[in-house]
Amino acid sequence: MAYAAGVDVGSTQTKAVLIDETRRIVGRALTDTGANVMRAAETAFQQALADGGVPEEEVEFVVGTGYGRYKVTFGNTQVTEISCHARGAVQLFPRTRTVLDMGGQDTKAIRVHPSGEIVDFCMNDKCAAGTGRFLGAAAVALDLPLVELGPTALRGERAVRISTTCTVFAESEVLSWLGKGKKIEDILLGVHESIAARSIGLLRRVGIEEEVTFTGGVTKNQAMVETLNKRLGLRVNVSDEAHYIGALGAALFALERIVTARAPAPAKGIA
Amino acid sequence: MTDTARDAGIVGRGNEVGARLFRQWFEGLTAAAEEGRGAAYVFVMGSLCELLRVFDFPIVFPEINSLQTAVRRVAAEYLNEAENYGFSPDICGYVKADVATQLRGGMHPMGRIPKPALAIATNACNTYIKWGEIWERMHGMPLFTLDIPGSRGAGLASTPGGEDFERDRRYVAAQLEELIALCERVSGKKFDIDRLREHLGWANELNTGWQRVLELNRSRPAVFNALSDGTIYLGVANGFRGAPEGAAFFRDLVEEMTHKAEHGIGTPVDEKWRLIFVGVPCYPIFRRFTELFSDWGGVFVNSTYLLFASGGANLGFTYDLRRPLESLAEGVLLGVRDAMDSMFFQTQTLVRMIDDHAADGIVYHPIKSCRTVSTGLADTRRALMAIRDVPSLFVESDMMDKRVVSEAQMKNRIDAFFEGLAARRHQAAAAPA
Amino acid sequence: MTTIFAAWRGQPLDEMLFHCRELVEDTDFPTIRRWREAGGKVVGHFQVYFPEEIAHAGGLLPFKVRGAPIEPTQADSRFGSYLCSIIKTSLELALSGRVQLDLFVTHPICDAARNLAGVWGRNVSYPCRILYLPQNPNSGYAARYLRDEYDRIRRLCEEVAGRAITDDDLRRSIDVFNENRALLRRLYALKRERPWLLPVDEAYVLMAVGGLVPREEHNDLLRTVLPLLEHRSLPRRDKIRVILEGGFCEQPPLDLLRAIARSCYVVDDDLMIGLRWLVSDVPADGDPLQALATSYIDRSAHSPVQHDLTKPKDRMLVERLEHADAQAAILMAAKMCEPGLEELVVHTRALDGKGVRYFVSEFEESMSSFDSLEIQLETFVENLVFD
Repeated sequence: MAYAAGVDVGSTQTKAVLIDETRRIVGRALTDTGANVMRAAETAFQQALADGGVPEEEVEFVVGTGYGRYKVTFGNTQVTEISCHARGAVQLFPRTRTVLDMGGQDTKAIRVHPSGEIVDFCMNDKCAAGTGRFLGAAAVALDLPLVELGPTALRGERAVRISTTCTVFAESEVLSWLGKGKKIEDILLGVHESIAARSIGLLRRVGIEEEVTFTGGVTKNQAMVETLNKRLGLRVNVSDEAHYIGALGAALFALERIVTARAPAPAKGIA
Repeated sequence: MTDTARDAGIVGRGNEVGARLFRQWFEGLTAAAEEGRGAAYVFVMGSLCELLRVFDFPIVFPEINSLQTAVRRVAAEYLNEAENYGFSPDICGYVKADVATQLRGGMHPMGRIPKPALAIATNACNTYIKWGEIWERMHGMPLFTLDIPGSRGAGLASTPGGEDFERDRRYVAAQLEELIALCERVSGKKFDIDRLREHLGWANELNTGWQRVLELNRSRPAVFNALSDGTIYLGVANGFRGAPEGAAFFRDLVEEMTHKAEHGIGTPVDEKWRLIFVGVPCYPIFRRFTELFSDWGGVFVNSTYLLFASGGANLGFTYDLRRPLESLAEGVLLGVRDAMDSMFFQTQTLVRMIDDHAADGIVYHPIKSCRTVSTGLADTRRALMAIRDVPSLFVESDMMDKRVVSEAQMKNRIDAFFEGLAARRHQAAAAPA
Repeated sequence: MTTIFAAWRGQPLDEMLFHCRELVEDTDFPTIRRWREAGGKVVGHFQVYFPEEIAHAGGLLPFKVRGAPIEPTQADSRFGSYLCSIIKTSLELALSGRVQLDLFVTHPICDAARNLAGVWGRNVSYPCRILYLPQNPNSGYAARYLRDEYDRIRRLCEEVAGRAITDDDLRRSIDVFNENRALLRRLYALKRERPWLLPVDEAYVLMAVGGLVPREEHNDLLRTVLPLLEHRSLPRRDKIRVILEGGFCEQPPLDLLRAIARSCYVVDDDLMIGLRWLVSDVPADGDPLQALATSYIDRSAHSPVQHDLTKPKDRMLVERLEHADAQAAILMAAKMCEPGLEELVVHTRALDGKGVRYFVSEFEESMSSFDSLEIQLETFVENLVFD
C-alpha cells in the first residue's frame, strides 16, 4: 500500500494530511507555523505520520502547498493552494461546483468542474474586507474573544448596516454604532453581513453554481454559515475537516503523481 | 551563406536593432532639448507622425517615456513627485510620471525630453485630452484634439465607401487641414505634400510589415514572444512611424521572422503553452512578469496590446499616395477606430486570435491606471467564456505603480492557472478516444 | 398623454417638495415604470449631456441614467477595481430590473464611461450605442459633423419609436425644452439672488425631477413652484456664499447637500449640469438638428469632461464664482473619478492664484455618514468668517 501526503503551510497554521491509495485520510496534523516555516512543515508531516501509524518510507510522494509551499523542502513538488482547495473540496463533497474559502488572510472563490479541475478563480488578498481579518478587527473593537463573535451575532435581530469597506475604519464605525445605542448583537450581525456580501461579490465573479462548499477557518462560525446561506438562498456544504482541505487536496495531487508514474508506457507502433 | 551563418546574422536582429533605434531616438531628443527645440507630443493611438515629420518636429511619445521610468525602476520617485504636486494616487500613472518629468525640466532615465511645441491628442483615450490640458497650462503650448469617431456599437463599424463612414472621414479630413495650418504656424515651415507622400510610403511599409509579423506568429513554435519581444517592436512601430528607419526595421523583421518560421526556430523558451495577452504589461517588474509565464513554458503568441497600442497598425493599411490627405484621413480613422474596438468590442477579435494562433489560454491583465483598457475586461472575459471554452487567467496589477504590484500574489495565481492548463491537458490525454 | 407624476399637483409648497424628493430618491424609478405601463418607450442616456429633444420628438421618454445609492450586487462582477460607483450602480439598475429601457446611449466622457456601451451591450437585450460628441468643438467642421451625428441619433430613435421624426416634431420639442431651460435658469437665478429662499437640496430635487418625467410635466411643476418659492417667507441668515463644483456626473447624496446647506448658501453649482447644458434658447428656425448642434458647440456650459479652447476650466471656474458673487468654493470629486480628480489640481491652483478659499473633498453616491465632512466644512466656514 502506498501513501501520499500533502503539507499546507499557511501564514498562521501548518496542516498535514496522509492518504492511502483509496483516497482515505489515514493521518492528519495541525501545528502553528511560527517563525521557522521549514520546521513547522517537517513537524506537521511527522505528526501526521505518527497519527496514522505510517512509516515515512511508505510515503511515495509529498506535495507542498500554501504560502510557504517552497519551504516544504522534503516535498517532491509544490501546487498552489488554489488548486489544492478545489481538489480537496470536491473530494469531501463530490457535487461541489463552487468553493468559498475564507481564511484568516485571504478569501478565495473557485468554480470547479466535476473532476476538481478549476474553471475560474478570484481572490481577495490585497484587502481585508470580506476576509476573517475583518472579524478580527471587530473583535478588537468590541473587546470580545474571536470565538464569541459568531454566537453573539446569532442573537442579533436587525443587522446594522456597516458601510465602510476598510478594516481600519471598521473599528471606528463599530464603536460609533455602539455609541449611538445599537445592540452589540445587531452590530456583529451587520459585520457578518458585510463580510458575506463581499465574499459573495467574489463568488459572483466566478459564477455561482450549486453545490457551494464553504471552507477555511471561518467555517466554525455558525453565524457566518447562516448569513451566507441566507444571502445565497441555498445551503453551503461545511465540513469538520475544513482546516485540512488544502492539505487534502495536496495529498490528492501527490496520489495522482504516484498513479501516473505507475502507468505503463504507451506501446510503440500504435497510431 | 550556410543556414547557421544566416541564423547568426538575422535571428535576434530585431531585438538588437530595436534597442539601438531606441537609444538613437532618445539621443536625438536629448540634443533637441539642449538646443531648446520644441517637440511634437503625441500618443500611440493616432500619433500622426506621418504628418508631423513633414515639419521636422522631434517626436515625443510621453506614454513611452513614462513606461520607461517603470522599466528602469525609477517610477516611484516620479509618481511621488506628481502626487505631491496634487495629483491623486487614483489617476493614470503615465500622466503622473510625465508631470514629474516636466517638473524636472525633461530629465529622464533615457536622456532629456524636450518641451512640447504642440501636442496632438485623439479622443481614443480621454486621459490623453486631460493630459494635453496639463501641457497647455504648463507650457502655454497648443493642444490639438483630433476627434476620431469610433464604432457606435459592437459590430457596427461603418465601412469605407458607405455614407456613415464618409461622414466621419470628412470630419477627420477637415480636422487634418486645421492641424496642418497649426503645424505651419508652430514650425514656421510650409506644408509639403510630396514630403507627406514620402512619409506615408514609409508608414505603408511599417503597417504591412507589422501585420505580417503578427501573422507569422501563428507558426509553431511562435517566432517571437508577443509580450517581451512584442513591446520592443511596438516601440519602433510607434517611435519610427513614417520614418525610413521604421520601414527598414519592419522589412528586416519580416525577413527575420519568415526565416525563423521556415526553419522552426522559436523563442528561447521551450514552448509548452501558447497564450494570448490582453491588457497592458506589468512594466514595474517587466522581465520577471514574463518569466512568471515562461518558467512554465508559456509563450505569448499574440496580444491586444500590440493592436491598440500600435494605433491599429495591425490592419496593414496602405495609404494611397495619389490622394495623400484623403487617404491619411481614412487610414487614421480606420486605425484609431480599430484600436478602440480592440479594447471595447474585443470578443470577436479574441476569438479570431485564439483560432488563428492556436492559443491554449488567455491572460487578462487589467491595470489600476488605465480605465480605458481595464473597465470592461471582466465582462469581456465573461462573454468570451460563454462562447469559447478556453482557459483564462485574470490578474490585476499596474503598468506603473509598484505599490499595487505584488509578485508573490501574482505568482500564486499564475501558477494555479498553469496547474489548471496541465490538468486539462492531462484529462484530455487520458480521455478515451 | 397620461400624467406620469401627479402627486405634487394641487399641494402646498412643502408637500410638493416632499413628493419631488421622494421621487428623486426612489431607487425603483416609478415614473419610468408608469410610462412603460402606459405603453411608452424609454431612451436611457448616461451623463453628461444628451440631446433629449431628439428622443422627445419621437414621443419617447428621455431618462437620465445617473446611478443610484444602491448596492451593485450583480453589476459589480462585470467591472474591475478602481472605478467610480456610478458606473456600476447604473448597470445595476438595468440588471436588477429596476429600469427597463428600449435604447441606451452613452458618450465617452471618460475612460470608464467609454466602456459602457460595450458592457451594457453584452448584458441587456436592447441596443446600446455611442454618441460621439465632438472633443474638438473648435474645429470649423465640428458643427456640421455633430449635425450628422444627431441625424444618426434621430434614426435610432425613429427605429425605437416605429415612426418618422420630422423637423416639425423636432421644433416642437425644442420649444418644450427651451421653456424648460428658461425655467431652470429662473430657478438658479433665485438660488443665486435670494439663496435663503431656496436651499441647494431643494433646488436640486426640483431640477433632478426633469430627468425622470416628460419635460412638459417638469415645466408644469417648475411654473407652479417658482412663484411660490419667490414669495416664500423664510428668514435671511448670515451664511457664506459658495459655489459647489464636482457634481457633473456621479451625484452626491441629498443628505450631503443638506449637510452643506446647513453651513453655507450654495449659490451656484454644476449638479446635473447635463440637464442645464445649453445656456440659452435653441433657435426655432432653420434646420433643427443643426440648431441643436450649433447650440451644443457655441452656447453651452462647461465641465471637466468637455475639452474646448474657448472654455478653459480655470477661467470658467473663476467666472462662475464671480458671476454668482460667491466668497468661496467647495470642490468635490467622486471617488475614483479620474477627470474629477484631475480637475481638482486645476481648480485649486486657479483659486490659489486668485486668493479665493476653497474646501476640497471626495464623495461617493452611496455614502451614508457625513459627520466627518460636516465638521471639516464647519471649521472651514468658521475660519472664513473670522478672517
